[in-house]
Amino acid sequence: MELLSALANMALLASAVRLTVPILLTALGAVYSERGGVVNIGLEGIMIMGTFFGASVTHLVATALPVPGAEAGATHAIAPVVGMLAAMVAGVLFSLVHAVVAVTFRVNQIISGVVLNMLAVGLARFLNILFFGVATQSPGISGFEPWSVPVLRDVPALAPIATGISPVIPLALILLGLGHWVLVRTVFGLRLRAVGEHPLAADTLGINVAAMRYAGVLISGALAGLAGGYLSIEQGRGYLEGMTQGRGFIALAAMIFGNWWPLGALGASALFGYFDALSLRVVHTRIPYQFITVLPHIATIFVLAGFMRRAVPPAADGIPYTKEEA
Amino acid sequence: MSTRVRLGVLQAAAPLLAIAFGAVVASGIILAIGKDPLEVYGLMLRFNLTRSDSVAAIFLKATPLTFAGLAVALSFRVNLWNIGVEGQYAVGAFAAALVAFGMRGLPAPIHLPLAVLVGVASGAAWALLPIALKLRRGAHEVITTIMMNYIASALVLYLLADVFRDPTQAGTPRVRTPLFEDSARIPLLRPVLQLVGIDVPSHSALNWFLPLGVVLCLGAAYLLARTRFGYEVRAVALNPDAAEAAGIRIARTQFYMFLASGAVAGLVGLSDVLGFFGYFDIDFPKGLGFLGISVALLARNDPLGVVPAALLLAFLDRGAQGVQVFSGVPREVITILQAVIILAIVVGYELVTRYVRAQRKREAERLVAGRPDVSEGEGG
Repeated sequence: MELLSALANMALLASAVRLTVPILLTALGAVYSERGGVVNIGLEGIMIMGTFFGASVTHLVATALPVPGAEAGATHAIAPVVGMLAAMVAGVLFSLVHAVVAVTFRVNQIISGVVLNMLAVGLARFLNILFFGVATQSPGISGFEPWSVPVLRDVPALAPIATGISPVIPLALILLGLGHWVLVRTVFGLRLRAVGEHPLAADTLGINVAAMRYAGVLISGALAGLAGGYLSIEQGRGYLEGMTQGRGFIALAAMIFGNWWPLGALGASALFGYFDALSLRVVHTRIPYQFITVLPHIATIFVLAGFMRRAVPPAADGIPYTKEEA
Repeated sequence: MSTRVRLGVLQAAAPLLAIAFGAVVASGIILAIGKDPLEVYGLMLRFNLTRSDSVAAIFLKATPLTFAGLAVALSFRVNLWNIGVEGQYAVGAFAAALVAFGMRGLPAPIHLPLAVLVGVASGAAWALLPIALKLRRGAHEVITTIMMNYIASALVLYLLADVFRDPTQAGTPRVRTPLFEDSARIPLLRPVLQLVGIDVPSHSALNWFLPLGVVLCLGAAYLLARTRFGYEVRAVALNPDAAEAAGIRIARTQFYMFLASGAVAGLVGLSDVLGFFGYFDIDFPKGLGFLGISVALLARNDPLGVVPAALLLAFLDRGAQGVQVFSGVPREVITILQAVIILAIVVGYELVTRYVRAQRKREAERLVAGRPDVSEGEGG
């Protein structure tokens, strides 16, 4: 009974929802990229850039715009907004490197992504030294004014889940629905999927394969950057080296589990978010905490091993498209 | 002939151009923080080349990088991505450490090889699950090996802090295993080098794993180039369909190469643990597995290229310490430089490969186009 209440109480579920968001946003980005035929292992590095730029720009804006008449430490409401945007821009710029190397120069996409991750670690450390004098963390910041659901917040049992809601959470759900609509209903989505399934056929029909693939990769960069910004601004209240904890890779697993569809990725991200929350909460048991912290990673291996479902990737996923040799 | 020479020059020039490109990008960063790039590079060269302790440090650092690069390269050779060297070497080094302090009274000729073998076996064992899931269930090995890295790090931390921590260190901030038996330590190279007249600083931990790494790379090169198994490996990499049609069991070849990759990964940490520290502690060097990816990419997955590539990265790493101490440039600039060089080099190799392929195609077309003329000439 004690175990059951530990596994399914409201505070845990609220924490699971919060931790689902970064994985969900990144998995959604991965869907765009891979539907266009580009594997993006670099999402982890893009998230790292998002965490760094999100927190540091929020901090810079907050110090540049003191709130008149408020006590010290109060932050202008615009600061986290600018921080989130900066995280997205950083994500787009960083993913541009992947697009240039993997789409234009047709270098193996795994290699490009892996190198991007290494670059992100060095870059974040360097910039952090430059801005804040230390390598591994930024000053603390405050995020958005949290929301609460009007009627539900008065029910004591539901309070943990109905209050303290980051505005990024509904935004993520909107982006998820938008993603589904774009991929299924729009010309852009159809073309993106076409270059991921059969680039030669798409090319023959006059679709610019490289341009569509760039679009997919850059959108994935924006979403992974946003996810990173959410982690550092809303979850961590500051940047800390290594705070992404492999979530970029976990998001790729969520995308695969969701069969390369946005709504499928929601279920898988929620699963990982739950394990993530569990790994933070179940510290007071006899199980050594080191094993509990790797619960999301163990779950990822299980999911990838397909113990639940077989996945079908886009046919040309990961294969560079070469016009002259096709 | 002239075409072949030109292509050879191009292939050799690609890494140099990539290094130059990386240096240009890093110069921009160094300028941005208000330092003179030429001065920084000059300092780095002087620091690395004119001090005997620097030279020894570069070779010492290149030792684990050689194993890491070879481990990654072996998996890349069969189109698999072992990003899990990081976890495999942590597990391998810790297992070797268990043997090194746990078994007492063994003579050195048994104790040291036993510790090394346990490290190798543990590295391979940590690679077993990802490759089995890849071949049986199609689970992408990039993600599973990265997840295994996190699990390895947690497992080693748990075993170190909660199970095998040196009881005499309790109450101190030091978290490490008991000291190893002397019989499990890797002998240093210094006495031998002094015999041949090479002076090594007395504090240098340069040890026999350096020549072992070189020999292993030579052995791997021979295996891949001259044996039946190596032929199968090359066939699987070049054209899996043709290899399968020729009766080569692709999954089996990939399985063995991936386990070999994990086994070599098990050696990565041993030069540091058994050759230098003499105990396994919480600050055990990390990140060598990811540097191994850089080494393998730089070496184009050729075992013969692994040693020079490892030396280059070790050179940059040592130089980074020098510039940090003497010119106040953060060593992370060199980390960025490394990543940019690797990016430039993979792009460079890709462009050269594509150019070479186009040249060969053109030559072949010329040959084919030439032939009918000859036969017509004979007919007429």
